[in-house]
Amino acid sequence: MISRERSGREATLSRLLSLPGIPPLIALAGLLTAWELAARALAIDGLPPAHAALRAIPGILGDPEALLDILSSLRRMAIGFALALVFAVPAGLMMGRSRLIAAFFNPLLMVIYPVPKAALMPIIMLWLGVGDAAKTLVIFLGVSLPLIYHSFQGARAVEEKMLWSAAAMGMSAPLRLARIVFPAALPEIFVGIRTGLVLALITMVTSEMIVRQSGIGNILFNSLDMAQYDAVYATIVIIGALGFVLDAGFELLRGRLVAWAEPRHAIAVGTA
Amino acid sequence: MTRTRSLEFLVGALPILMILALWQGLSAYGVAPPAILPAPAKVFARLVTQLGNPAFLAHVATTLIRLFSGFAIAVIVGVAIGIAAAGNRTIAAITRPLVRVLAPVPKVALYPALILIFGFENTSKIALVVVDAVFPILLATYQGASMVEPKLVWSARAAGASARRVLFNVVLMAALPSVLTGCRIALIISCIVVFLAEMITSTDGLGHLLVLAARNFETVDMFVPLIMISMLGLLLDAGFNALRARLLVGFPEEG
Repeated sequence: MISRERSGREATLSRLLSLPGIPPLIALAGLLTAWELAARALAIDGLPPAHAALRAIPGILGDPEALLDILSSLRRMAIGFALALVFAVPAGLMMGRSRLIAAFFNPLLMVIYPVPKAALMPIIMLWLGVGDAAKTLVIFLGVSLPLIYHSFQGARAVEEKMLWSAAAMGMSAPLRLARIVFPAALPEIFVGIRTGLVLALITMVTSEMIVRQSGIGNILFNSLDMAQYDAVYATIVIIGALGFVLDAGFELLRGRLVAWAEPRHAIAVGTA
Repeated sequence: MTRTRSLEFLVGALPILMILALWQGLSAYGVAPPAILPAPAKVFARLVTQLGNPAFLAHVATTLIRLFSGFAIAVIVGVAIGIAAAGNRTIAAITRPLVRVLAPVPKVALYPALILIFGFENTSKIALVVVDAVFPILLATYQGASMVEPKLVWSARAAGASARRVLFNVVLMAALPSVLTGCRIALIISCIVVFLAEMITSTDGLGHLLVLAARNFETVDMFVPLIMISMLGLLLDAGFNALRARLLVGFPEEG
């Protein structure tokens, strides 16, 4: 609005602030400070100060049993997510290119959309038992919808002329889907993957909190039950960091892989 | 046009009917024992009887009160911060990195902390709904308000409107389609989150009914709350969509 002279120091400051990664770090420091101050001001057992919680993190990550538990949760998450990718992306692309297929699946997906997927855990466990299969399936279900939706949107927006030219040059329909629709839809697919990654973590944590049998969600509530409040908050910080690292790491990868596409704003929120 | 529409409708009903038929078939022919998969007819019959049961409706009401309180607070907070960030560069500079850090955090992980701070009763569940629902509203408001045609703001300012009035009467109104889209996403999220919170710890509400039924291995009663919350979600979504269409009369069409 109003332009004004910037002093040299201010210019350095704004250059520093525009470095990627610096503003989130400052935000993080601000959050921790606010937490520390709030804890001191309120002085209740339920809100330990930030430094106490941070000090409890090595204790959790250093416990081999807990670490293995978390790693096996993450492995299930990765498998569920990979399976969803293999299934949902082709399904979404086909829906985007065929009106019939879209008409076939759309109402079903609309009905599934408001179902709390993590809440299916007790029912799925009746069918598949308490093993990895049930936990992986819940994650698969949790992330499939945004993956299908964004692949669908991406495939629908593909420039028709590219497809016509390819068809005129004799490219078969499946090949057109793989060689033209897929790369053209890639930026939008990546938006879906970004939403899906966070959602996979949310579904994982939520289902573990509901079933309370293993995983980081279980550690969280065990500490709560044992009134180890520092550990509760430390676990929350670990889960939050996982979410942020997954999201930021994927953003870096996306920037590399689809650098040619316009950066898109995605609402990176979702829920199980 | 109408013929293809109705044809598409029929095609779309197909997979849903197929799943119901498969489900009924599995239980009718004894492939899946009723203790594991009760027949859909039985589940829906129970749902209908439960809808006449005051105790069940009380649980539904509890869930709805938590849902709407959380959603309403999230709308107020999200729109306020979103508009403020769009109108003020300092607020934007503070809000954006905070949102960048907090948006990908699984909010449900905060639930134990919210329990410790707000107790096991309604407040902690409402608070969880707020933290989960506020981000889509905030982001949609900020994005919508940032893209408002500057000329609209200039003319309103030139006509003598105060900066605050411009923010509410011009910017917010022009950003309304985006704001309402964010609210719609947030409404479904609220619906899901309140149910999950009730499943994690609660003594009442629909989510609690599911956990209770699971503990007693009453499979029919496990399906009923799940179907109920999903139907509530669909109804709320449809209702909100109708409201959105009314509010946006005269706005250019957009997805």
